[in-house]
This record gives sequence, C-alpha cells and structure tokens, in this order.
Amino acid sequence: MDTFSQLMQGFAIALTPINLLWCLVGVAVGTAIGVLPGLGPALTIALLLPITTKVDPTAAFILFAGIYYGAMYGGSTTSILLNTPGESANIVTSLEGNKMARKGRAGAALATAAIGSFVAGTIGTIGITFMAEPVVKLALKFGPAEYFSLMMLCFITVAAVLGNSAIRGLTALFVGMFLGMIGVDNQSGQLRFTFGVTELYDGINVIVVAVGLFAIGETLWLATRPKEQQEEVLEVKDSIMMNREDWRRSWKPWLRGSLIGFPIGAMPAGGAEIPTFLSYSLEKKLSEKPEEFGHGAIEGVAGPEAANNASAAGVLVPMLALGLPTSATAAVMLSAFQSYGINPGPQLLSTNGALVWGLIASLYIGNAMLLVLNLPLVGLWVKMLKIPAPHLYGGILIFATIGTYGISRSVVDLMLLYAVGVMGFFMRRFDFPTAPVIIGMILGPLAEMNFRQAMTISQGDPMIFIQKPLSLFLLVLAALALLGPALWGLTKRWRGVTGEA
Amino acid sequence: MLGVFMIGFAVVVAYATAAIPQSTYAKIGPAVVPWAITAGLFVLGILLTLEGLRGGWWHDEATQLDWRGILWLGAGLLSNLVLIDGVEFGGKQLVPAFGFILSSTLLFACTARAFGSPNFLRDGAIGFTLALVAYVGFDRVLGYQIGSGLVERFI
Amino acid sequence: MTSRRDIMKAGLAAGALGYLPFGITRAEAQALASLQIFVPAAPGGGWDGTGRAIEAVMRAEKIMEAFQFEHAPGAGGVVGMPKFMSSKKGQPNAIMIGGMVMVGAIIANKAPLKLSDLVPICRLTGEYEAIVVPAESPFKTMKDLVAAFKADPGKISWSGGSAGGTDHILVGMIAKAVGVDPKKIAYVANSGGGPVIAAVLGNQVSCGVSGYGEFAEHIKAGKMRLLAMSSDKRLPGINAPTLKEEGVDVELANWRGVFGAPGITPQQQEALVGLFDRLIASEGWKQELIKRDWTGIYMRGNAFGSYVEAETTRITGVLKDIGLA
Repeated sequence: MDTFSQLMQGFAIALTPINLLWCLVGVAVGTAIGVLPGLGPALTIALLLPITTKVDPTAAFILFAGIYYGAMYGGSTTSILLNTPGESANIVTSLEGNKMARKGRAGAALATAAIGSFVAGTIGTIGITFMAEPVVKLALKFGPAEYFSLMMLCFITVAAVLGNSAIRGLTALFVGMFLGMIGVDNQSGQLRFTFGVTELYDGINVIVVAVGLFAIGETLWLATRPKEQQEEVLEVKDSIMMNREDWRRSWKPWLRGSLIGFPIGAMPAGGAEIPTFLSYSLEKKLSEKPEEFGHGAIEGVAGPEAANNASAAGVLVPMLALGLPTSATAAVMLSAFQSYGINPGPQLLSTNGALVWGLIASLYIGNAMLLVLNLPLVGLWVKMLKIPAPHLYGGILIFATIGTYGISRSVVDLMLLYAVGVMGFFMRRFDFPTAPVIIGMILGPLAEMNFRQAMTISQGDPMIFIQKPLSLFLLVLAALALLGPALWGLTKRWRGVTGEA
Repeated sequence: MLGVFMIGFAVVVAYATAAIPQSTYAKIGPAVVPWAITAGLFVLGILLTLEGLRGGWWHDEATQLDWRGILWLGAGLLSNLVLIDGVEFGGKQLVPAFGFILSSTLLFACTARAFGSPNFLRDGAIGFTLALVAYVGFDRVLGYQIGSGLVERFI
Repeated sequence: MTSRRDIMKAGLAAGALGYLPFGITRAEAQALASLQIFVPAAPGGGWDGTGRAIEAVMRAEKIMEAFQFEHAPGAGGVVGMPKFMSSKKGQPNAIMIGGMVMVGAIIANKAPLKLSDLVPICRLTGEYEAIVVPAESPFKTMKDLVAAFKADPGKISWSGGSAGGTDHILVGMIAKAVGVDPKKIAYVANSGGGPVIAAVLGNQVSCGVSGYGEFAEHIKAGKMRLLAMSSDKRLPGINAPTLKEEGVDVELANWRGVFGAPGITPQQQEALVGLFDRLIASEGWKQELIKRDWTGIYMRGNAFGSYVEAETTRITGVLKDIGLA
C-alpha cells in the first residue's frame, strides 16, 4: 500500500466523531497550558498517562498529539501580549512580538504567529508523511562533533539579540551559561555550583528561569514604576488582522522557519529552542528592514513561531520511525505506547500502521482546528489586555506559582523562581537584555556536553571538529555568519585599493 | 557600581569553580568550562566598571522607584513562600501549611495592591475565586500536585 | 499528607474491601485500606511507571482500591528520599518506589542517606543491561570487543546513561574484570536511553550500554548487534550470551523495588509485604510484566533488605574504581 492510501485510511480513523472530539479536547487543553507560563506539554501528558487504562490507543495518542501541537500554538500568545513567554521555545517570539503589541499591533503579531504555526505545522506534518526516512538518516549523521558545531552556529544568534550594548548582552549570556552549569555534571558525575543544596543536583529548570526572568521580572518591574507614569501602550490601534504588507513580509519567514525547525526537531539533541534562535538571527540578516528588529519587526515573530511548530512535528519523526524520543514530550508519549504493550521501534509502522497513520491524520486535523480556534481567539486575547493591570498581574503570579510548584512541589524551586525574578527586575532596570540568559542557559551546557563527548570519542584530538565534513560545514557557516560582514567590507576596500576584480 | 558587583560575582564563581573536584578520568574535566565562564565574567565585570566610570549608560535613572509597590509585592511573594507549605524548623512546625489557595489569595491581593488597586478585600475575593478554579482545574482534573492545605481538604 | 477527604475515602474502601489479611489488627487494616505511593522521580519515568502498574493491577485484582500518588523528582531519588522519610515517618500505608539507580545516586552524590534507614518491602522487577554495537561494527562478539578494549582502552568509546549510573557502573565492572584500569574508560555519558540509541544507530560510538528494553526493537530490526547481556543466565527470548559466558565475570541487574516508611512496626511491614505477595501471585501482574517487558525478580521483606546492603557495598567499590566515590 502506498503512503497516500495509508494516509487516507488514517483520515478514516481520525475523522470518526469520537476521535475528532479527542482531538478537539487535546488542542484546547494544549492551547491552555501553552498560554500559561511554566506549564508544558510533557508534564501534562505525563499526568494524563493513567487515561491509557481507560481509552483505546488511537484516542489516547490523538489526545496527546493535540496537546503537544496546541501547546506550541498557545505559547506565543502571552509572549506577545504580556512579554511573558509560556514556554522556552517562545522566548524569541517575545522579542519582536511584544514590541509589536506595544505599538498597538498585537492583532497582527498574534495572527502571523497563528498562521505561521499552521503553515509550519502542516509543512512539518507533510514532512512526517513523506520525508520521514531521509530526515531520520540526516538526523543520525549528527554526532557530538556535529552538534558542537551546530551550537557554535547558534551562539552567533546571540549577536542578534544583544540589545544596545555588547558588553551587557554578553554578561547576560555568561550569567546564563553559569546557571546552566549548576548541578551534577553529566560527563563526570561531579557536583558543580550546588552549594550543598540537594534540590540543585539536577540543575535549575530552564522553565523556572524563563518564567522568573520574564513573568516575575516583568511584574516586579511594572509594579515598581510610579503609577502615574504607566502609559496604556497596549491599546490596539490597528485592525486586528494582518494587512497586505504583513502578509508580504511574513510568508517567506514562515517557510524558512519551517525548513529550519523540522530537521532540527528531528535531531536527537535538537529541541525546539535552537531553531527559534537560528530563525530569528537569519530573519534579521535577510530582512529588508533590519533596523526594525528590536522595535517590532513582524519577520521576527513569523520565523521563530514557524520554526518552533515545525520542530514539534520534527520531534515526531524519529519517535514514529525509530521509537526514539528526542524531547521530554516524546519520551512521555513513548511510555504511553509501552503501557499499551506496543513497543515503539523501527517496526512500529508495519506492526501498528493503523495507529500511526491515524495519529498522523489527526495532526493535519488538529492543525486545522488550531487555526480555526486561534484566529477568532486573537480578538479575544487582545481583549485580555483590557483586564485591569492589578488583576492581570496578580493572575500571572498565581499561574507562575502553579507552573513551578505544581511541577516539583518544592518551595526551593519557588524561591529560585522569585530570586530569578528579582534578577530579571534588576536586569530591566539596568538595561540588560534578558533573552541571552536563556540562550546561554540552553546552549552552554549542550555545547559543553557535546564538546566533551566528541573529545572523549576522539581521545582528546580537537581535529575531530574539522575532519567530519558536516561539522566542518557548520563551523564554516558559523565563521561566515560572524565574520562575513567584516570580510565583505574588507574585500570591498581591498578591491578599491588594488582595482582588481 | 554594577561592574564591581559583577567582578565580585566572578570571584564567587571562581571560588565555587575551585571547589569542583578534578577528575582525571574524563578527557576534558568538569571544571574546564566553568573556568572559562569565570574568566569571561571577570573580563566583562571590568569592562562594565569602565563603562560605568565613563558614565551615562544607565538610561533609567530618571524613573523613580515606587517603594510602596515594591513592599506590597515583596510581602505577597514572601507570604506565598512561607504559607504554601508551612515552615518547619528544628522539628517544630513554626507556620502551618495554609496551602496553595489561601497563599495565592494573599499573593493576588498584595500584587493588586502593589499595582495600585484600592480595594484589598474585593481583590482577595477575586484572587480566592481564581485560585480555587485553578486548583480544581489543575490538581483535581489534570492531576498536577499543588499540595494540600486549610481550604484544599474540603474540596 | 492525609487529608480528611482521603480518610473518608479510606474508610469507605475498607468497608468495601471486606478482606482482612491474617494477623493484622483492625486499625492496621483500616490504614492499609489506602496506599500512598511516593515516587522520588518525575511523572512519566520508570519509577512512576512501576507505581502506576502496581496501582492498575491492585485495583483490577481488588487488592487495594484507594491510591494517592506523590512525586518528588531529582538527582536519582536523592531529593525525594529525605522528604519521604520525614513526611511519612511511621505511616503504615506509605511506600516509596526505588531501585538500583538510587543506590548509585546516594553514593555518587555523597548524600547523607542510607537505603537501610527505610523498611524493605520487596524487590519487584529487574531489567538486565545489554551491550550492543552498530550494525556496521567490526566487532562480532563480546570477545572481539574485549580484546580491542584491552589493547587500547581509549579507542573504545562506550555510550551510556549519565556518569555514575547503572550503565557506567556496568562498564566499570567489565573493565575491572578484564584487567583494564577503570579510569581509562572512554565513557560518553548521555541523558537517558534515547541519545544512546541514536549514537549507536548513527555509528558515532564503538558500543552502547543500556537496559535491554531500550534496544530490543532495534536489535530485532537488525539495526544494531547485541553482543552480551548482564544477566547471570540466558534469558528466554533473547538470543545472546551472558557476559559470564563470554569470559567476563560480571553480572548486574537494574532492579526496582518498594520500601516502607521508617518507624513502622514489623507487623506493619509484614502487612505491606502481604499486599505484594498477593500482587505477584495475581494473573494481572503476570500479564503486566509481559506487556511492559519487565522481568519479575521478586524478593520479599528482610531478604530484600540484606540484598540492598550487599548491593550498596558492591556498587561503592565500583564507583571508587571509576573515580566517582
């Protein structure tokens, strides 16, 4: 049977009323936990695992996939409106998205995020359907050396979010890398910077830092400003939808974001954050109006939002094709397979074809549902800004508490959350950019781990990074991105001096 | 001022890095990257100090802090920390566990007050309702574990 | 954290149960009408899965009807264990899921804890470690791999879970058994089994070490080659020699078990063990083991306690050898 007819059978399964209902419940719950800071799909699905004893596998997976895709949609909303990202993959979105909202363009930002998510989700799902095999092959080519080189490329993205001062941006980056080092060192088992606190052994959760830095930090910042100076900047001036110019500037970033996000999501150490960093810096480089970046450039919302949704689809490729989890959410979904007695692996497609194709078909449907659900919601979300500030921020703090305390039931985590919040407040007050902290925290430990793994494999020979063609290619790309503009200037001058072509 | 703070921070990090046991076992030990970070923080601290001495990059100088807001919000956050799970010290329960709903109610009311809302009791009622709905939704329906307390045990 | 609601529930359940295990006073039976399962790890992981399986089967077999779950994740159980000890002290219906990973974590993190401070209930399941190589690998047997490892230890990269974990401990034991300095192992630590599978499938490392279940489907599909198992004898359905057969005198089981709270009486301990006796004997549990690919290695009460002590001594030795304790 060819792929297409199998997919059609999948649709026949997914389109039954009961499965459509599960899909709807999934995307609605997913959107809700995506919107709320700190609550993510991995934990929510883990908590819903007992449902596997009550419903059949197809229904359960359609529900879980809906939650997963929905969370990726929902995360952008609070990033844009309130500068408090719901997930770490939406941090980049807040950079331009919130600036757009402050200019009264919240509607357009939300719309480009929603449509971009739909485009990327659909491209990603098409990728799962037809491209699974080559993508998995590419992903497995990535070993520690290649990952390290990819991280180097990602570090360049910091340049794009440095803000007004390189020194302050780099300081934030280094503080982030420091936070990322806390805990048991994965390669040697030694404790680093734990100061004897057992709760720190597993490191600090990126979500705690992201919520602290953005949600708590922003609340503290606003609360301490004299009330008479608080301007009502977030009024929606424009029409709610995107105008022709917005469409023109959005569609290419959507496609580029999808192309970056999908393969990286499929990589065992890819994740959803890295493609958003890459997409943002790429859009900034390619933009006709790079000067708008940092002041609400729509490309900076469209690209990263597409990238994180495409990566969500990418994560499902090795999961369905190989039984290989590449994210926390995928790991939890795999354990759901196991509680049905299904062993996910290379033969999943042949042994449980109906389940897999039903799941894939439900992804198409879920995506469409999310678009239909979210576009009208844009108007509603924007109205959220009309909630009086005292109650809005009181509510944010309550949900931030659930998002942290509800994960671990640990008062230590809550303390960390508030401490990072205070740090976020001071960073705002002294004009330090906050995004590099998260970038450093995610990339720092990953880069370190892969560097040390590669060096272990090569017996301490650093040449491994340039001997592997894919790794070399990525390093050259990184060097070009970093030095390219300077070299370009130099060549021009040199040409000018010598007059040669 | 801030630069000096960063240098101080770098020194603390250096101290903590020195405390990482060196194992000869891995090719690149666990302290290598932390030392690099320490060095980076130190250099950046010096640069920040220089920048500070040259002056004029602190754009926010004009804005005064609203101390009343800080105090209210600080009180709200602190009370949340203390009340959500209670405080136990030396085997004695100093503060009983009020639980998520009551501590969040207080947090909400204090936050609202920090943002200049005049009616503390009304805010408390809104906060209570919100916390109650959130608790039922997340703890009872989705299965998040938000703990137990004075109000939770009656739901 | 027994709330009023739960006590009510428990009372109802006790009435409905109508079954009093032999030699247990009424008060104790009442307390055992509900079970508090404490998981010192995040929801969705292996220990959580064990707890959920216990719940599902006990419910289905009418051994127990009311369950409460509590999770306290972190550092291989080291964060959760002290919480369990202080908050559940003397509670006869509280159990904690734990395992061999915890033994290693306590030693490697130098945590001031002893598993012997808990009351041993039973060892439930175990999983044996598998050593695999990429399909393209020149090593056809464990003997090939060991020969190359002895010739130049640094050239053989072992991919496994985090440093000091079960996989690392096994590699340390192998090194010692074949006479290689355990400090010379080129061990590539990963967070969890997924990256290990990817590294082996992508031919990035010489070999991979993890629980058999992680690799099973890939071995069946011929994408990687199984060289040896860490069990003491050959396992049904797994076509590979044991390490011992291949001349490496090592045996290791990644076991999972159940512990009771400190301060409960021997009678209360016996009541809990009794529950698990019934669980193990049930048809539902046998089905569950097959469904989840677990090996049942039941060991009850104080025998399990002595086993844990012996494991602690053995693992401390290995971790010292690889420079982690």
